[in-house]
Amino acid sequence: MSELRKLTFGYLGLLALLALTVASSFLDLGGFNVALNLAIAAAKAVLIALLFMHLTGTLPRLAVAAAGLWLVILFGLTLIGR
Amino acid sequence: MSGTESIAFDTPQRERRADNFAMWVFIGSEAMLFGAIFLVFLVAHIDFGPAFAAASKHLSLPLGTFNTAVLITSSFTMALAHRFTLQRRWHATVWALAATSALGVCFLVVKGIEYGKEISEGLAPVLDLPFRYAGPDPVHAQLFFGLYFAMTSLHALHLIGGIVVIAGMIALWRRCSPANRLRRVVAVGLYWHFVDVIWVFMFPVLYLINR
Repeated sequence: MSELRKLTFGYLGLLALLALTVASSFLDLGGFNVALNLAIAAAKAVLIALLFMHLTGTLPRLAVAAAGLWLVILFGLTLIGR
Repeated sequence: MSGTESIAFDTPQRERRADNFAMWVFIGSEAMLFGAIFLVFLVAHIDFGPAFAAASKHLSLPLGTFNTAVLITSSFTMALAHRFTLQRRWHATVWALAATSALGVCFLVVKGIEYGKEISEGLAPVLDLPFRYAGPDPVHAQLFFGLYFAMTSLHALHLIGGIVVIAGMIALWRRCSPANRLRRVVAVGLYWHFVDVIWVFMFPVLYLINR
């Protein structure tokens, strides 16, 4: 698949996920609305990181993993302590 | 890719890798900043869920959805700019960059319209503006709107920064060597996509609380 087609499919995929997340908010899924919204947002973030930001190579992945680790500590310790 | 006159690195490839790594570290530090404010919002949301859900319904879902689409489109044009730079299609690159910053401006204009609407409805507990909220639990609704304005204005400031840098890049385009053009497009592209990712999380968190 050519690079341009990959970018275009990624873009259309992002718009489809946006439509999905807005549509899901009109359904009452109980506590699952928030989880679904966050899962869709995470999927969008992965699409953007891989297709648009070209997240490859050891060092960029290390930076992302480090940021993720510190965010887990930040969120984890705060929520455990409550 | 020659033309990078590096004195600190053995090869241009090595320098590019270092550039890229530095941008990712910077993005990591920005993720800490936004992570902290998301955490504050999350804790408040857990404590005052019903008040936050009721307050969230006062935000404009159509405008928020439109703006999300605008920002996703701007990320697409930014990715195109990177593609065109690699192909050395300079005219197309400048057009893609201009489209990216124009979409950024469009986002800010729509955000401004939203802010104006919220201020006129008395939903902006900032800058000593009057806060008139008719729904349940106005104290915690005020907390929601305070966080909403803090988060979205912090995001808007980042977007303004990106637009200014892209405008500067276009202004200095002719004086820039091809290798430096690529470096700049890659760096500002990473930043732009990151600001998009932040909005991708902010939109459902603020606008889509149990509608």
